[in-house]
Amino acid sequence: MPSRGAVGFVANPASGKDIRRVTARASVFDNQEKSAMVRRCLIGLRAMSDAPIRYLADANRLVESALEELGFDADAVDVETNGSAADTTQAAAALRGAGAVVTLGGDGTNRAFAKGWLDAPLIPLSTGTNNAFPVMREATTAGAAAGLLVSRGIPLEAVAERAKVIHVDIDREAADIALIDAVLTADRFIGARALDDPGKLIAAMLTRADPAGVGMTSIGGFTRPLAARADAALIIDFDASSPHRVVAALAPGRFESIGLARTRTAELGEPLHLTGPGVLALDGERERVLGPGQAATLRTLRDGPWVVDVRSVLTRVGCGGR
Amino acid sequence: MSTPSDDVLLDIHRRMVRIRTFETEAGRMAEAGKIPGALHLYVGEEAVAAGVMVHLSNEDWITSTHRGHGHLIAKGGEFDRMFAELFGRATGYCRGKGGSMHISNMDLGMLGANGIVGAGPPIAVGAAFSTKYRNTDRVAVTFFGDGASNEGSFHEAANMAALYKLPVVFVCENNGYGEYTPQAKHQAIVDVADRASGYGMPGVVVDGMDAMAVYEAADAAIERARAGDGPTLLECKTYRFFDHVGVRGMGLTYRTDEELAEWQKRDPIHMFEARLAELDVLSKDSAQAIHEEVLAEVRAGIEFAEASPTPDPDTLLDDVYA
Repeated sequence: MPSRGAVGFVANPASGKDIRRVTARASVFDNQEKSAMVRRCLIGLRAMSDAPIRYLADANRLVESALEELGFDADAVDVETNGSAADTTQAAAALRGAGAVVTLGGDGTNRAFAKGWLDAPLIPLSTGTNNAFPVMREATTAGAAAGLLVSRGIPLEAVAERAKVIHVDIDREAADIALIDAVLTADRFIGARALDDPGKLIAAMLTRADPAGVGMTSIGGFTRPLAARADAALIIDFDASSPHRVVAALAPGRFESIGLARTRTAELGEPLHLTGPGVLALDGERERVLGPGQAATLRTLRDGPWVVDVRSVLTRVGCGGR
Repeated sequence: MSTPSDDVLLDIHRRMVRIRTFETEAGRMAEAGKIPGALHLYVGEEAVAAGVMVHLSNEDWITSTHRGHGHLIAKGGEFDRMFAELFGRATGYCRGKGGSMHISNMDLGMLGANGIVGAGPPIAVGAAFSTKYRNTDRVAVTFFGDGASNEGSFHEAANMAALYKLPVVFVCENNGYGEYTPQAKHQAIVDVADRASGYGMPGVVVDGMDAMAVYEAADAAIERARAGDGPTLLECKTYRFFDHVGVRGMGLTYRTDEELAEWQKRDPIHMFEARLAELDVLSKDSAQAIHEEVLAEVRAGIEFAEASPTPDPDTLLDDVYA
């Protein structure tokens, strides 16, 4: 059956390797396993679909080496790479129009992708650290779902949920986004990026608060749970000296007692105004420096990626093969 | 992780400036034919040595590489004795018999630069073994490159360090080239840190051009080692601004001017000074004054070396055999 679009692949070679391997007990996700996941995913795709394949050619050749081994034809997107998150953002922009995109990475990878294509149809597979956005799922059937989605003309609305996005407007600077959480901290540097010191937390906006998750979502989850499907955001004001505390999983293998000033839910579109100095952490990584008096406004909207539910696709189609 | 005081930030900055200035002037001397032998200069990689060494005392050990000046300077090496060694004078750290690639000094815990690629890790592991045997809290840090991570000596050292939970930090300065060979042509991986899990230790990747990223990661890894929790492989992605040997080297075409220019946009000293100025920790004028002060000290070191005697021929065999 002719496909209604290509299937895109973006695998982030840098995910799952930050300092939380030492400051916490985060898993080590080496690139051999990522490449093996790509292989399994491609096999699943080809078992169900002849859809053209387009991919980001990363420095680690995660996708290219899998394609070569399997002998599958594919086109690399035409972007200049430099090994930074911008590679993923550029690849996303170049992949616009694809019927489905499989991402391998963590929250940061998917955030970088959404910066380039906000409402992409995504199948995000987790290879990162504190992953709230992508899911741990077997790549074989995820690839099959990607193939079926583009080949069977399945309406996206029937098998995918639109994700919420935190839109971050920063005075005098380029805007930014987060998919899970945006946090103002009292850090002075971006440094090794991962959020580390709970005593430096100032305020946060979350799109979901899940006690089964790890990171900011855990803090919110043990305080005031908020589902990804709920049309609201959660706002937390922190106070390290507060007697009102919550014990939450700040990182894999690491619980901390977090002092809270207050929590409240916000409607979609409701602004949260934050002021520097400080550092804005987006989806768990320190990303943007705010100077003294520099303002940032955060708003959550439901205008993000269409996150495809693999099980829904496969269940809908059944096991009838091609 | 500890939060660095302003004094620590200024200390890191000064260590980087000392390396840059020493190496730049040493390069000038080498190109003018005033220094015998090959010089492998550390310009561009300063954030790694400074970000690690600021956590160490003279009680802690390091092993270095053929590109070792930066490590010694960051560990507290004195310019006059270093230049004297480079010039082959009797007042040098090794009485003029070691030269650029073999400077060692036990008072500083410097177990030696080393002309043999990959020779440092086993020496550091031996030092760390003595820490465990004597029940002290000294830590050994071994610096090596992406090329050295292919040597058997690295793998044997990593295995023993992890097996005995020795207080070692393996710092891979991945500058993308083993001498003139791009990394992609000498190993099938991009992240040397991926090798850590094969030995049972955590592997972490950080931006080696960002002094604070290195600082934070080294802090965590050294703390882990000192606490008796074993070794860490810390990979710092960096770049040398000069050629493999000297400044312009042999003018080979193994890398492009465009690639060099891209990395120079992220000069570790310029980036750090810009952030310190934003934080009102170090003004541009104060930074300039530090550069000038250090340059005067470097020039005094060169004068000291040029005025120093060459070794007495009667001492030819002294200090050579153990």
